[in-house]
Amino acid sequence: MRKFLAKNAPGYIFLTPWLIGFFVLAIGPILISFYLSFTKYDIASPPKFTGLDNFDYMLFWDDRFWQSLKVTFAFVFLSVPGTLIFALAVAMALDKGIRAIGIYRALFYLPSILGGSIAVAILWRQLFSNNGVVNSFLALFGIQGPYWLSDPNYSLYTLVVLAIWQFGSPMLIFLAGLRAIPTELYEAAEIDAAGPVRKFFSITLPLLAPVMFFNLVLQMIEAFKTFNSAFIISDGRGNPLDSLLFFTLYLYNEAFSYFRMGYASALAWVLLLIIAAFTAVAFASSRYWVHYESDRG
Amino acid sequence: MSKIKRRTFMSRAAAAAGASVAASSLGLPAFGQDKVRIRHGWWGNPERDRRTFEVIDIFNGKHPDIEVVGETLGFNDYFTRLATQIAGGNMPDCIQQGYGVMQEYVDRGTMIPLTDYIGKTIQIDDIDESGLSAGTFNGELYGLTIGANTMATVFNKRLVEASGETFDTVTWTYDDLKRVAVAITKSSPDGVYGTDDSTADWGAFGVFAGQSGYAIQYTEDGKDFTFDTPLIIEFWNMWKDIRDAGGTPPGADSAGLAGQADLTVQGVVTGQTAITYAWSNQIVGIQGLMQDTVGAAMRPHLAGGQPGQSVQPSQFICLSRDTVDPEAATTYMNAFVHDPDMTAVLGMERGIPEVSAVRQMLAPTMSAAEATTVEYFDSIQGHVAPLAPPNPAGAREIEEAFERIAVNILLDRQSMEDTANEFMREARGILRRA
Repeated sequence: MRKFLAKNAPGYIFLTPWLIGFFVLAIGPILISFYLSFTKYDIASPPKFTGLDNFDYMLFWDDRFWQSLKVTFAFVFLSVPGTLIFALAVAMALDKGIRAIGIYRALFYLPSILGGSIAVAILWRQLFSNNGVVNSFLALFGIQGPYWLSDPNYSLYTLVVLAIWQFGSPMLIFLAGLRAIPTELYEAAEIDAAGPVRKFFSITLPLLAPVMFFNLVLQMIEAFKTFNSAFIISDGRGNPLDSLLFFTLYLYNEAFSYFRMGYASALAWVLLLIIAAFTAVAFASSRYWVHYESDRG
Repeated sequence: MSKIKRRTFMSRAAAAAGASVAASSLGLPAFGQDKVRIRHGWWGNPERDRRTFEVIDIFNGKHPDIEVVGETLGFNDYFTRLATQIAGGNMPDCIQQGYGVMQEYVDRGTMIPLTDYIGKTIQIDDIDESGLSAGTFNGELYGLTIGANTMATVFNKRLVEASGETFDTVTWTYDDLKRVAVAITKSSPDGVYGTDDSTADWGAFGVFAGQSGYAIQYTEDGKDFTFDTPLIIEFWNMWKDIRDAGGTPPGADSAGLAGQADLTVQGVVTGQTAITYAWSNQIVGIQGLMQDTVGAAMRPHLAGGQPGQSVQPSQFICLSRDTVDPEAATTYMNAFVHDPDMTAVLGMERGIPEVSAVRQMLAPTMSAAEATTVEYFDSIQGHVAPLAPPNPAGAREIEEAFERIAVNILLDRQSMEDTANEFMREARGILRRA
């Protein structure tokens, strides 16, 4: 023991800032929120323990809870595949050895840096507003554009497009993955007269599977947590008609607009469980479609 | 860096740190100030923010021992941030509150009654009785009224005149509104309509309810409404009638504005319409955002109905339970409503002052928009209903639910019966849960 300390004490001392942060700012609040999820807590007065009431209300009485799940799932199922496909397409285009590729990479990555920002969400609002750039552009062709943001049939799609536009970071990861595929494989395939489609499905895609899996998990978690853009575009409330009532937005309003911190904590734990479940499913399925170089015997 | 050098560096750093600790323990002021710092938070608009910061400067100039710092946000964000501040125990010392939501904050114990400071740091002898009674919750005074307020119809004078129609700004009815609005749509350029659409406006519905005989809209225990779905459907039908006649923008346009409190998006300001529904204390702010001159009228009346509009406090300045120094905070609050130099800067922007001396002082220096406000205020006396009791907890959530669900009507997505039922079910749920 003494030997262990003598050897490792300096390491732990250097770790203390991180350890303090981890316990005080992460683990602490997480445990507190777990407790609060079983209470009625109006922020101003101390929490009152109410057992499973919050979960009972959520599952059996709260229509808006189900609506927020519907919105969030629709968003995840549309935006994640969309982002991955788009990112892969751009990565493959850039992989062709264009000149000044660094500039293109930076340019395509830019939206990802800006994407989560408030400014871009506000810009998006302007672009898709009733008399915005998008509808003015459509009008040039005699098309009467819909009310993108105030019509509940369209509002979610504008956010999906915004999410897909932020394809930069998966694109960079795909690009690195593409570079790692040995060119001999393509050459061998060409000798066997394989066309581009065949090469894509037989070489590129299988060898990219680990990278694809990584991107899928990350994008999925990000998509479940979407908040900033939804907050700005939906007036902070999920407007119009709850069509943008993202789970995180609902949670936020329950906590900070309506003084139901206990209920909001319960919602937060449900979100955690959902994300954990989806990630687990992704990992479980990965053994059937993700093969690592070292697996091959 | 060599070992020795590193050691020297460390010891010097330690010495420097020690010296500063010693200095502060000797009571030497670190940055040369020994002031009480008081935070004042309000929701506002650019005009109000400019005036309030100026007021703070004046106060700080007169009170070298107190430093007031201002914090401002838009209406919707103000209350969410206040919630985080309540949770964190760091609310500003002085907070702005509104009559509609105040009861909830008093009941949750987030504010301190002013009782102990009356006659000491706070003078109330010269405040109007109406202002004092409105600031009294559960038998104690919780807020100093910044100004008296009432709803108003704000219209673009040029566009109304161009329509050739006239109306009586005090006694006009919804039928007059329809006639004028349709005429404005016809006489104005494409894309400009007569009036904003109040279908999804809970406040406008409240006035309509009052006019229809439901002056008090919540039952005494605060767990239900005194009216039912037919009243809501009647209200929506009245607006549908104006909309179908072309008096308002298309429903989908109005849907995008449901629940938006920002003055900058209101029809009269953006130029999309000639008539907007606001509060008397917003006339100055709206005029500040416009080139055309605005006029003020009462909210339209229901033919043969009762008065639905009342005079209420525009806002209160209140003492939060997190205050670091209640003496200093209440000194500032008192000056905010009494000090001649400060109230001169505030003017009418937050409503008509409730201190008569302040009103008299302001009269000769008023801007055109302020004169419009006062004139409007004087004209409605005798046409208003008594102030209804404060709203129960959950009122704000109900308002937001109405603004959201009524969009179904604007977009023509489901029948009025279904929509009204949906709203009542959700609203009753909110009241029971509160």
